[in-house]
Amino acid sequence: MRGAALRLEHVGKTYPDGTQALRDISFAVQPGEFVVIIGLSGSGKSTLMRCINRLIEPTAGKIYIDDVDITALSPAEMRRWRRSIGMIFQQFNLVKRSTVLTNVLSGRLGYLPPSYALMNYFPKDEVAWAMANLHRVGIPEKAQTRADQLSGGQQQRVGIARALMQEPKLLLADEPVASLDPATSHSVLKYVEELNKKDGVTVLCALHFLSLARRYGTRILALKGGEIVFDGLPAEIDERRFKEIYGEEAEEVEIA
Amino acid sequence: MKQDALAPRPSLAPARPWFQSGKFLLFLAGLLLVYAYGWQVTQIDLPELVIGAKFVRPFIRDLARPDILTRQRLTQQVEVAMSVDPRVAPEVLPPPRGPVLRVPTQVAPVGSAVQATGSGFQPNAQATLFWVNPIGNPQQVGRLTTDAQGEFSTTIIVPEAFRGPEAGPRGAQQRLRVVVEWTVGPLRPSNTAIIVLQKIVETVFLALMGTTIAVLVAVPLSFLGARNLMVKNPVGTTIYYLTRSFFNIMRSIEPLILAIVFTVWVGLGPFAGVLALGLHSIAALGKLYSEQIESIDPGPIEAVTATGASALQVVRYAVIPQIVPPFIAFTIYRWDTNVRMSTVIGFVGGGGIGFILQQYINLLQYRQAATAVWAITLVVAAMDYFSAVVREKYV
Repeated sequence: MRGAALRLEHVGKTYPDGTQALRDISFAVQPGEFVVIIGLSGSGKSTLMRCINRLIEPTAGKIYIDDVDITALSPAEMRRWRRSIGMIFQQFNLVKRSTVLTNVLSGRLGYLPPSYALMNYFPKDEVAWAMANLHRVGIPEKAQTRADQLSGGQQQRVGIARALMQEPKLLLADEPVASLDPATSHSVLKYVEELNKKDGVTVLCALHFLSLARRYGTRILALKGGEIVFDGLPAEIDERRFKEIYGEEAEEVEIA
Repeated sequence: MKQDALAPRPSLAPARPWFQSGKFLLFLAGLLLVYAYGWQVTQIDLPELVIGAKFVRPFIRDLARPDILTRQRLTQQVEVAMSVDPRVAPEVLPPPRGPVLRVPTQVAPVGSAVQATGSGFQPNAQATLFWVNPIGNPQQVGRLTTDAQGEFSTTIIVPEAFRGPEAGPRGAQQRLRVVVEWTVGPLRPSNTAIIVLQKIVETVFLALMGTTIAVLVAVPLSFLGARNLMVKNPVGTTIYYLTRSFFNIMRSIEPLILAIVFTVWVGLGPFAGVLALGLHSIAALGKLYSEQIESIDPGPIEAVTATGASALQVVRYAVIPQIVPPFIAFTIYRWDTNVRMSTVIGFVGGGGIGFILQQYINLLQYRQAATAVWAITLVVAAMDYFSAVVREKYV
């Protein structure tokens, strides 16, 4: 399995209170894949995402990104690695009181000397590139607007632009459309898809709706109780599999 | 299925309306008792509002004409010696130069009418006649305006005046004085206006210094009083509760009471006021600040950390934008509150405009008091507006 963009080997996470969020997760993702992770709330999707960039420290196993064991990296080395891992969030996680441009520029911080932060200084070419990324997600006119003035869909596009500033090789998307309406969900996911197809960014995306997962994913991973219960193509998820993942009572809801 | 609809209701007694229920009547009786006692203990006396109106009327009237601008005042004063006892001759005064005050007779018993005429005075000026007793206390007996030639003529009634400590003949020797007063030159700020201006500036700066001291102490303290940062181990928890208790206790002591304590400590004057406002504001701001720190959104911190930013960069771009604008807003609001507080802190000797306002009121100098009241109103309203604008901008 050498050459994988991301490889997990027997990864586990047990919280200090004894909760086992992840058990023995192993899978590998090839460069350019669009992997959708599905599962009920609490099935470990968010924990898995955060273990990959070590916002949460896994308690067992190894994680390789481009064949480098990131679980063995020192905190400083890990910071450098995080630059190539973009992340977008369900709640967008923008700094609400800062402008859109500042939020986008904050995606570049890993590449800039920390001393710039004291002066709130960003080099001109970085600012120009931030504007270019705002163009790319279609909201250049919002650059000087405060982030909390934007609609949910626009905020998530700022989140994508922020991730773009990192020039990521891997994008972690933690339920990026769970707080958006169906139409907006598609417009946001199209940008993620474009990133995947055009820029060749490997995407790991947690989604709630199976219909969205089928539409965008090239591969689906299903989590249940912290374990992988399905790993395959979107078309392979039938009624029986669906009930396995979501429980007997579940019924599939379509999203247009 | 029709029978179902027509089925008789179970024959329960109809529920009593809520206002007849025993609980409500008991509640009503209790309420009545509370307010009856309250009415009595606070000595509410509505007729007094009408009876006492005449005492407050001069003050209300003077509010409309505060002492702000004035012209230079010039006066002419002439006296004529009088006697209220035929057996006692009036004093002999040196003959006046310039304007002259004349009376037909210099001996006039108490209660008699005396025709007083004057000439050579400033034309069209305000003339006030005083009866002056042997120890020099004037008593107004007439008021008029001089004519175009600078002359006047009026009749006064000789008043019963205090004859002084000596019961002898000297007590009968009294004087009639006329004071003619007029103003010249351009309008200029009155002395009152200048004093009030100095004191209102002192007031604003008193509030500024108090607020600044409070900010310098409250910012570091507020981190110790933030639950999300401190309640992680027993030591932190202890510090958290100590800090919070300090905030709560200090906040409950009015700055006015603190000012009394500090005037005893450092003496009368603005410094005591600065300390009182500062100490109270440390607690008030500390509580607001630490609540702001507690309500910080961890999302942006996570997001900025995920981009590979260092701790310093995370603080700068994810923490500071979340706490600094509300800190600024709270601080401006506190300054605004402190300006309002510092106007009364002078009542207990803590400096600022309250000190002179109290003096003016005690001396019944209502026009001067009005100047101070207007100055306070203007400054507080301006601060209120300014702080609202700033807060709107930052929050």
